[in-house]
Amino acid sequence: MATMIAEATGQAILTEEHKQSFLRKYIFSTDHKVIAIQFLFLTLFFLMIGGFLAMMMRYQIAWPDQPIPLGGIFPESMVASGYILPEFYNSLVTMHGSIMVFLAIMPMLVGVYANYLIPLQLGAHDMAFPRLNMYSFWIMIPAGILTLSSFFVIGGAAGAGWTLYAPLSARPDLTGVALGQQMWLASVVLIGLSSIFGSLNYITTVINMRAPGMTWFRMPLTVWALFITAILGLLAMPVLSAAGIMLLFDQTIGTSFFLPEGGGQPLLWQHLFWFFGHPEVYILILPAMGFTSEILAVGSRKPIFGYKAMVWAIISIAFLGFIVWGHHMFQSGMNPALGLTFTISTLFIAVPSAIKTFNWMGTMWRGNLKLHTPMLFAIGFVAMFAIGGLSGIFMASTPVDIYIHDTYFIVAHIHYVLFGGSLFALFGAIYFWYPKMFGRMMNETLGKIHFWLTLIFFNLVFFPMHGLGMVGMMRRIYDASGYRHLEGIADTNALITWSAFALYASGFLFAFNFFWSLWRGKKAADNPWDATTLEWQTPSPPKHGNWAEVPVVYHGPHEYSHPGVTDKDWLAQNERPDVPSPAGGH
Amino acid sequence: MRLDLRNSSAAMFVALGIAACGGGGDAGSSGGGDTGGGAAPPAATIDPATVGTISGMINFAGDAPAMRAVDMSGEPDCAAAYTGGGPMTQSVLASGGGLANVFVYLSGGVSGAPAASGAVTLNQENCRYAPHVLGAQAGQDIQITNSDNLLHNINASPTTNRGFNISQPRAGITSTQKFASAEVMVPVRCDVHGWMGAYIGVVDHPYFAVSGANGSFRIANVPAGTYTATAWHEEYGEMTGSVTVTAGGSADLSFDYSASMAGADVPLGEPLVVGHDGAHTHAGQ
Repeated sequence: MATMIAEATGQAILTEEHKQSFLRKYIFSTDHKVIAIQFLFLTLFFLMIGGFLAMMMRYQIAWPDQPIPLGGIFPESMVASGYILPEFYNSLVTMHGSIMVFLAIMPMLVGVYANYLIPLQLGAHDMAFPRLNMYSFWIMIPAGILTLSSFFVIGGAAGAGWTLYAPLSARPDLTGVALGQQMWLASVVLIGLSSIFGSLNYITTVINMRAPGMTWFRMPLTVWALFITAILGLLAMPVLSAAGIMLLFDQTIGTSFFLPEGGGQPLLWQHLFWFFGHPEVYILILPAMGFTSEILAVGSRKPIFGYKAMVWAIISIAFLGFIVWGHHMFQSGMNPALGLTFTISTLFIAVPSAIKTFNWMGTMWRGNLKLHTPMLFAIGFVAMFAIGGLSGIFMASTPVDIYIHDTYFIVAHIHYVLFGGSLFALFGAIYFWYPKMFGRMMNETLGKIHFWLTLIFFNLVFFPMHGLGMVGMMRRIYDASGYRHLEGIADTNALITWSAFALYASGFLFAFNFFWSLWRGKKAADNPWDATTLEWQTPSPPKHGNWAEVPVVYHGPHEYSHPGVTDKDWLAQNERPDVPSPAGGH
Repeated sequence: MRLDLRNSSAAMFVALGIAACGGGGDAGSSGGGDTGGGAAPPAATIDPATVGTISGMINFAGDAPAMRAVDMSGEPDCAAAYTGGGPMTQSVLASGGGLANVFVYLSGGVSGAPAASGAVTLNQENCRYAPHVLGAQAGQDIQITNSDNLLHNINASPTTNRGFNISQPRAGITSTQKFASAEVMVPVRCDVHGWMGAYIGVVDHPYFAVSGANGSFRIANVPAGTYTATAWHEEYGEMTGSVTVTAGGSADLSFDYSASMAGADVPLGEPLVVGHDGAHTHAGQ
């Protein structure tokens, strides 16, 4: 059937609405929305797997002298006589971190929401390169298969930590892992390729495919965050891919890039890894900041406080993110002058971070707060990110970092940023955009219970870890019970483990709500949150091609409680303030 | 697990060949000394009327070097198990003119052999490997057990086979490993306890033994024929000899080591990884 699509200029173009096969429509789809949903299911699966690995780790840490329940179902190479073996514990640590970063949180932030939101929030029909977009998803499948199957090869999964420090990662004899490590590297190279494909797409789409009137400073902060994140990804991921290939060569064809006995430099790995790794931290947090800004404005019924400052803060964080990698390496014996440089550049990041935090609070200040589930998670994000950010300042300082380096303090910090930060924002985003994605609402009561359980048990898990780190509990330690300086922490570890089980269980409440609502959730209106950005001005879910008519944008993204509008407290980006909206816009 | 089709086919071929010859009775043979490698006799069927036994002795001339004391104070439970002088290193155990822990195997003249069956055992007890030297047939299960209620790891560094580095944190944990192809010797060490070391001799037939405390060894169920035999010791190196086995008979074989051979080149093969500290040196005690 032929459909007329009117361009903003008034010029009409004729497109052919073609019938698609099931395979083309749902499996090998080039529609950005389908790809986003594919990413969502994939990443939720890996979130569950990564969490399960963490539960096994927690059991071992809390009760190292007790066999793990149902240990008999695992191969002898993982669990022997009911006990988790140390090398399997190494794999658990490594793969928990790797899966959460590379296969759960990063692709959920970017693969799901950059894909879903960029064209919809910009008023585009799709991505600039739909086929490349499809590849970026399907490359993740072999990456995921490689990751999971590596547990079952001889020697087990990678065990050198997600940071893969050489020479531990380069010499199979040190960890007992050869093939598993190589599979990990191959997987990361594939994920890097997926990320590069995605980034190219997002950047091009944002630059070239904005609807008429969608100027740079009218873009929603989510798009800004995802755009800057894509630039970070494009510059950082190739470094990891290249380093990964070099490490693979060290393992397989006898090169010595990172092996000192062959003339290589283990420190080179650290530099390359962290030159990727620190921007990666911002890849993992900037989109979360974007979602939070969006949800806080909607939930506060106020424009975001200091929109332009928020944009510049994102840009500043991204720029500074490239010149701070050395703060991960204060223990490496670097020149103190260089350490001081990295300390100062790291402390600078506190400035744009504080701008964002205060602006979020400014947004909520005297707002007409709607404490729905997405809003609760967004507020939770601000609170948890503040704690994670503040503990980061401790580690930015060289003398403090040297004391707490590689202890549970860093475990607490990274989880306040990645779980309390990224994952809280992601939960908020899922609840918030779920009606647009699937046309149904998630259950609000279950959502609120999920939030409170998550908030309480998250803090019970990770806050005490600061203390464990201060008393010297080593990161990645298999059995802390044998150390005299760690006597007396067993009860704290047991509390953390019980809380972790409860936290994981609350995830299943979310999963139930998610899948139950797919079929039984209340039908969603097109704009259930009374939000202003363009995606809410389409049907829920939007049709293939997104727009029958490309919208024209008249103003910024957060026009809530606009004084010129009397019949409602919001003004969509494609509504003109001087033209009354039809039927109040609802 | 990777299936080694080549070895599997060869083993099957040999087994079929033996069956076609109307073979019956007990399997090949095993180590014969007191520390006989922990080897259980492979249970293949051969005709006892066609096989003989090699009985032998590893002689040692001269004064054996004094072994050094092992400081096990870091593991009080292990240290307490040794009374009257405490634990000593074990690299040269010679007494009464015999040398213990010598791996003896037929290195030439063997054509066809029963497939590996059963398992050999390597135990970690009181922070030591028992036995210190053992033999295994290629493809045979090596059952590794921890009898100490503390963490040991077992780091095997072969040259041609696939190595492994596993750990056993508790008493009673057992792990089964195997080496696909012949390799004399595979060093094994515990990275937690630097004094713990063992050697595994892997050959592709069951005709091997490890000399016991008095230096004696015995290889049973050897098909009649003339063979080259090789003896290997971690400090004094390799020696070869010839032996003829007659059906139903017992052949004598002896090797003469002496204190002056200390420092001999001990073939272990190059380590798998460049700069792998200790892989080429003696893991032993």
